[in-house]
Amino acid sequence: MRAVGRIARPALGLLVLGLVAAVSAHAGDQKLKPWDGNRTTPSHFIPLRDENNELIVPTDTDAMPFSARFTCGPCHDYKTVQGGWHFDAMKAEKNGRPGEPWIWLDPKTGTVLPLSYRKWPGAWDPRVLRLNPWDFTLLFGRHMAGGGPAEPGDEDVFPGMDSRWNVSGKAEINCLACHNKSGRQDHSEWAKQMLRENLRWAATAAAGIGEVGGMASRLKETWDVYDGPNLDDHEWAVAPSVKYRTVDFDGKHRYFFDIAYPPDDRNCLACHSVSPVKETRATAAADVHTAKGIKCAECHRNDLQHGIVRGYEGEAMDTGNRSADSFTCRGCHLGEDPTGKRIVVPGRLGAPYPKHTGIPLVHFRTLACTVCHSGPVPGKSWARVRTSRANRLGVYGVARWSTDLPAIIEPVYMKDGRGKIGPQRLVWPAYWARTEGKEIVPLQPGVIEAAAGDILKCEDRIAGVLAALSQACGENEVPVLAAGGWLFEVNVDGGLDASPMVAAEKSGGKNEAYPFWGTEKDGVISPLIPDFDPAAEDKDPAAEPKVQSVLEALAGVAGIPGKPVVAMKKTLYQVTDRNLASAPVPAELGGASGPGWLKDGQFEPLAAEFDIRTVAATAGTEKTLTEEQVGLVLKVLDQGEAQRKEPEKGGPSHFTYISGGRAFRLDKGGRLVSEAADSAAPVTWPLAHNVRPVQQSLGWNGCTDCHTADSKFFFKTAKATGPLLTGSIASRSSTSLMGVGGLFHRVFGLTFAVRPFFKVILALTILATGAVLLVFFVVVAGKLAGLIEKRS
Amino acid sequence: MFAVITILALLTVGLGLAFRRFRIQHPSAEGNILYAAIIRDFSRWLGLRIPAVLSKPTPAGWPAWVKGFRLWRLPLFEKWLLIGFYGSFLYLAASGFFFAIFIRRGLYGFPLVLHVMAGALFAVCLTLIAFLRARRFTFNSGPLALPGDLDAVRKFRIPWGARDWAKGFFWLFLLAGFSLAASALLPMLPWFPYRGQIILFGWHRWSALVSLLAAIAFADLELFRPKD
Repeated sequence: MRAVGRIARPALGLLVLGLVAAVSAHAGDQKLKPWDGNRTTPSHFIPLRDENNELIVPTDTDAMPFSARFTCGPCHDYKTVQGGWHFDAMKAEKNGRPGEPWIWLDPKTGTVLPLSYRKWPGAWDPRVLRLNPWDFTLLFGRHMAGGGPAEPGDEDVFPGMDSRWNVSGKAEINCLACHNKSGRQDHSEWAKQMLRENLRWAATAAAGIGEVGGMASRLKETWDVYDGPNLDDHEWAVAPSVKYRTVDFDGKHRYFFDIAYPPDDRNCLACHSVSPVKETRATAAADVHTAKGIKCAECHRNDLQHGIVRGYEGEAMDTGNRSADSFTCRGCHLGEDPTGKRIVVPGRLGAPYPKHTGIPLVHFRTLACTVCHSGPVPGKSWARVRTSRANRLGVYGVARWSTDLPAIIEPVYMKDGRGKIGPQRLVWPAYWARTEGKEIVPLQPGVIEAAAGDILKCEDRIAGVLAALSQACGENEVPVLAAGGWLFEVNVDGGLDASPMVAAEKSGGKNEAYPFWGTEKDGVISPLIPDFDPAAEDKDPAAEPKVQSVLEALAGVAGIPGKPVVAMKKTLYQVTDRNLASAPVPAELGGASGPGWLKDGQFEPLAAEFDIRTVAATAGTEKTLTEEQVGLVLKVLDQGEAQRKEPEKGGPSHFTYISGGRAFRLDKGGRLVSEAADSAAPVTWPLAHNVRPVQQSLGWNGCTDCHTADSKFFFKTAKATGPLLTGSIASRSSTSLMGVGGLFHRVFGLTFAVRPFFKVILALTILATGAVLLVFFVVVAGKLAGLIEKRS
Repeated sequence: MFAVITILALLTVGLGLAFRRFRIQHPSAEGNILYAAIIRDFSRWLGLRIPAVLSKPTPAGWPAWVKGFRLWRLPLFEKWLLIGFYGSFLYLAASGFFFAIFIRRGLYGFPLVLHVMAGALFAVCLTLIAFLRARRFTFNSGPLALPGDLDAVRKFRIPWGARDWAKGFFWLFLLAGFSLAASALLPMLPWFPYRGQIILFGWHRWSALVSLLAAIAFADLELFRPKD
């Protein structure tokens, strides 16, 4: 019996293992169903299911939004898709070649911070900044395809106090963002819904399956989707709800999904557009592949696993996807892998075989294909471009979503991970950071804003005053502030618009008293309060009512610093009990003039000198901070640190501000100093599109497309950009970015001036030497053949 | 591959030429039929010869040694022609083979620019030398015609001495120089695609090796020939 047991137990174990393996294999088969060979896309009449896997009846009141996990999932395994390139950044072990990071832009604090969950050089992991998935989703959800950080696991749902996943729900993978063929697919709607924190509703609204109203962001954190409508508020804090387009459902409550397989370019471009800043839509060039009718997804392929082929050389090694090698430039056009080994027959999708006649081999060894074929043709300066994700492109509506910053330039030629030079996009980071020893950790803009208090609110304060003064203005009158040669007025976003001041003739001769508050009407600037003598008997009867209206308007300024007053000649006006009261200007307020604030018995101007100095300095530029502001904020941060810890007397600053390729800190004397730092280095990522037609490739016109003494390819200098107005900025030359010798390429470029002459000389010597050799061989052959005999 | 063959070829030619000198200086060794004995005697001779050659002249004596060259006593045009020729060839060989053998990336940077410039000078000098000196290296004017019947061809021997070897190497050098110039010019013309460029690059390298070997042999047999 024991013997039987000894045999039976291992056998039983093997049997169990076999069964487990068989079941696993079967499960695997279900995930990746083999293609039956038919090239059509099936019509998708699908019953919609909600996040609880309940069937959705579109006519139901309070119907839930559809869930891709349970609607698409039964045929397309959701967990498999979750491992795809667009969704697995948080957990991915293999990140491949650097791509475009997410860029956290906050002009007020001067933050341009590249972020990525992928371990790419220069991009900060959001977790280092204590940015939880909720924060990340609200920041960048506008251009996310759902899933990933927007759909955290249950264990990550309550990591921070601010997270409101229970109100908003999770943004599941939005299959339709890519695969919806319908013209109803609206990326702008997706962005708006994400901003409203309607995460679980966003896909339904963006696909046009239903109309979504309400805003989860306005609901209390205790609200739950099962609570239904907010009965207490029907106007402001309205709970999100869906009203389905019932016309698109059949009698069995099945919805018709118009599916695009592979996805249409418009869906890719919603998040992956890149356009030169100065280009117009009408003149913008298209990628040559697109012009030939090739869709993005025909090269950037994937299967159910959604491991999108990115198309760079070496990707197969990085990802283990062997077919990736054949989808590179080299793979399609030459049929070769990165080592030059023929792996497929070239010519996929009609790719022409390049001859590259007359191009020396060194170019193929040291340059990526994209150097000559992709991006804008190198000009005197780099091209400034905007990308969908960095500059918030493609979100249309009344408000302007797109931003001019961050300033991304291309094509910056740099060496990639393989040591080959390729075109890249470049952005200079800017952020506040805590330095501890050699370690530097960026700080969230919210932390800086809270610590800085009023220091960073100069524009807000002036805009607040101008916005309030608009209440005291007549029809078509706009309140303005003239200062530092600029005319400021408040814009629709509550910020300031600055335009250059055309001085005397425009201001009616009132520009001598800058800064001054006035009104603009039909291009003419007048003082806010007309000059009058309160003591005069024949004073303008409209003058004092105007003073009263200005004072009443100023009383509405948010965070009012004191009581609004107007000092006119020797009279001080203020509103008391809705009446205009006047009194002689007290002796201690001597010199007070115009509108201002009475605070602690002191007269203060409407806007502090610091505020005016700051906005005037940065007006007309993309700068948002001055050195004075940075110094003050660093001081505040250091003081806060000193209170928290044992202060280091005379020790180095614990905080740094990075901008323009340099790190700014306070020295022992409290002065702002800057230094070069690795953490301030530009962040780059390779570009591949747009691919230009061959006639527009570098080298088409000969070697001098690049090799001249003043080559636009080799000799440019990138001056760092950043939000800080400073003369202390880093710069990098093209050759230093490429890692090649500048002097050498100057000299080498010069040699091309004599290259034609050199070729002629060489050709003549070859002809002459060849003639001598020919004669020699003819003679030898003649002698051997006995045709040439010895002369007597 | 190229580096290994280059090193082996240089060693072979060097040893071959040294062995020839050994045979000239030790005619008695010709009677020796045992390979082991020949190798032993040759190794012993080489062991003594190499330090002697390396130490003579001493660094202090180099200027005098160089001044002793016949080159300086040549007419102006011929002198500068040969200076240009020798100088450019020495630089071409030194830069080309150093980078090809020791630098993975190959020739690049300023050495490459100088290499291209020296190449042009070399090509011009070589052409002039071909026109001015080729007649000195023609083979004897006697009939070389092969015998009419094939049995006699088997026994046919071209009268071939050291001087003829030198002439042969001259013509080989000229041919290699021609090949070098052609393989330098052709890649610059818009005729050859990627594969063609690879072939031309290889062609240039192998031509350079042949050229160097021919030059060494010619120099040994003609310019620094042992006094008979």
